[in-house]
Amino acid sequence: MAKREEFDVCVIGTGAGGGVMIHELTAAGFNVVALERGKSYTTANFTDDELGNLIRRSSLAPHQLESYRAEPKAPSRAGRFNNLAHCVGGSSVHWSAASWRYRPDEFKVLSSEGPVAGANLADWPIDYDELEPYYGKAERAYGVSGQSGSNPFEPKRSSSYPNPPHPFRSASYVIERGANNLGYHPFPLPLAINSQPYGNRPPCMRSGQCANYGCIVNAKASSLSVHIPPALATDRLDLRPESFVNEIRLDETGRVRSVSYLTATGEQREVYAKRFVLSAGAVGSAHLLKLSTSGAFPEGLANSSGQLGRNLTYHITAIVGFWTDELSHGIVGQTGQVAIDDLHASDSKRGFIRGGMIMENGEANPIYYAMNGVSQGLSAGTQTWGKPLKDYLRKFRHAASMLAIGEDLPREENGIDVDPTIKDHLGIPVPRITHTNHPNDIALHHYYEGKMMEIAQASGAKDVWKIRLPGFSDLEKGRSQEGSYHLHGTCRMGDDPSKSVLNRWCRAHDVPNLWVVDGSCFPTAGGYNPTMTIVANAYRVVEQMIREAKRLDS
Amino acid sequence: MTDSLFGRGKQCRSMSRREFLERTIQGSALLWVGEGIARPRAARAASQSQKLAALSIPEWKTVEAIAARILPTDQDPGAREAGCINFIDKALANEDAMILPLYQMSLAALEGHCQAVFKNSFAELSEERQEKVLVQVENGTVSGWPQGPIRPEAFFATVRFHTLVGFVANPSYGGNQDFVGWKVLGFPGPRHHMGGGTPEQMVGKQKIKTVWGDEID
Repeated sequence: MAKREEFDVCVIGTGAGGGVMIHELTAAGFNVVALERGKSYTTANFTDDELGNLIRRSSLAPHQLESYRAEPKAPSRAGRFNNLAHCVGGSSVHWSAASWRYRPDEFKVLSSEGPVAGANLADWPIDYDELEPYYGKAERAYGVSGQSGSNPFEPKRSSSYPNPPHPFRSASYVIERGANNLGYHPFPLPLAINSQPYGNRPPCMRSGQCANYGCIVNAKASSLSVHIPPALATDRLDLRPESFVNEIRLDETGRVRSVSYLTATGEQREVYAKRFVLSAGAVGSAHLLKLSTSGAFPEGLANSSGQLGRNLTYHITAIVGFWTDELSHGIVGQTGQVAIDDLHASDSKRGFIRGGMIMENGEANPIYYAMNGVSQGLSAGTQTWGKPLKDYLRKFRHAASMLAIGEDLPREENGIDVDPTIKDHLGIPVPRITHTNHPNDIALHHYYEGKMMEIAQASGAKDVWKIRLPGFSDLEKGRSQEGSYHLHGTCRMGDDPSKSVLNRWCRAHDVPNLWVVDGSCFPTAGGYNPTMTIVANAYRVVEQMIREAKRLDS
Repeated sequence: MTDSLFGRGKQCRSMSRREFLERTIQGSALLWVGEGIARPRAARAASQSQKLAALSIPEWKTVEAIAARILPTDQDPGAREAGCINFIDKALANEDAMILPLYQMSLAALEGHCQAVFKNSFAELSEERQEKVLVQVENGTVSGWPQGPIRPEAFFATVRFHTLVGFVANPSYGGNQDFVGWKVLGFPGPRHHMGGGTPEQMVGKQKIKTVWGDEID
């Protein structure tokens, strides 16, 4: 009989959360096997091809398949709805690198707002002060470039950004002018992109293609550029790309015994470990737990609360476009250079609760701009083809845009389960998304759209329009958002095992040697890009995990 | 809000048209997003050839004529000069093969309409007449279109989307020939392999080199 493979820790998924776990565990002396569904790429594999990366999105997730329905009981249809990268490094490879700390009240939404009809609000079991030192650790690991203290609405920080901010482009100055004219406090967008050599990584070359692209020089921080290389250097990491885990198996005592996975050629393998960390993202982690049914857990592993796969949050992304008089220079620089946070604080007098952040959205992608010409034509009331469309294309060099990321409310009905009929290329039933927005989300979207239009107009812009991305039903009649870049909530953490899947250390209430460390532990979504909170929380969790493991194993 | 009956009616019509357009855009985006799964990425190799890969000769001519109305040639090159038709043909033979039936059925319906009304093929009509027909296709009011799931609105939105992509996608996909699409936009080509950008270029104080060897502000 062949010797069975047994590791100290098995990590499933190598994105922002998994990367921290892998790095810290190997550094602490644990032998780790990491199973990643996608391929392993180097910077040489990353291309500047907009069609493959941003439009078809097939470059970094060639086999991604999901299904979607707006409401429970509705039939689902197959497609690619969420914007994911399936590769070593996960979606941290193609993220925009906008790096934020959540505000103190974003950890305490239920107690600060009270219950809201149709929403399943909750407090996080931790608060900002507990996470604060780990935000600092995350910012240092990812080399965040920013100007500490420049956002007057940022919570207090005990450490500064490790790198200075990036310079503005022409469009950033225009947005800054509009914001200043309205009395707001614009500041340099904090980005996990090197503004100078840092952490054995070179400075940014300002190619403009950050979101949806892998960085070809590793100036952008990711699990792949920051955490995987030192973990491999310890010789304690066995990294297995193209390994799709399709079942988590329990032993007779209720602990995870092993996971089984499929290789690229469809071969079924099994790997044993003392501890298991699931970091497959809010879709992938919930999907795998739902696939892993057993006598004790007929509705999915670690689901005695019934909350597994529920409370999926997506964020609200509102976008407006406008033309600047001068050239906007969106084609060089980073994701965006300037941000505005004055309108973030929750205020029910606005007709909705919670809030979000506004940032410049660099116009570096010609196909994306061309597609949005239809939005502009609709706004201007002109024909959306022919000469008006051609005239729109000719103004690309004057294009500028802003986007707002806002906090959407968790609904119990929104979530991930296993599609009963649709299967992927390996024959595995795909994750089924059920999602409809809460009316509060729609009010929030309208508000930020209006405020961004005001900022553009205050800068002197004459033509301003709303950009509505494909995959949204008509906002005026309510909305069911099919997918997102930002995924959270499907395995919420909490102190009460009857209301949450994970405890405050992201360990499953029901299974003592299973952790889930990614966006799925977020009870509520926050009103900023989530990656730095995923990274900081992973640092907090892994510290406790290592402390406990050393005590138990010694 | 306008209070004249005429004004209100006008506003209603434009709203419904807007809503309708948004729906059809989504329809085509869904088709677009649904494709490309586990299909070979052969388009790049095939795109260098001008030989027909998915469309018949009459279909090619019709789609080329539609694309030329969506992005017409004026003082600047349009869809014809960019070779958008070649991009579309190669995409339909590869990554977008799933929507080839949408094209084939719609083109047959369009040909039927043009023969019934004008006794001529779409590509042979005057540009003015082509535009009138396309407005009807876009609005879904074109006569003689068969009942069923393939709607003229979705076809129009899909061709418009494909034409735009063919105009400004990387030339290696078969469109944007001689970078004419990028030249119309003023896009210098991706910066990744051009040495990136400088803080001076971000504010217009230094020229930007294009991938075809010019310099722009």
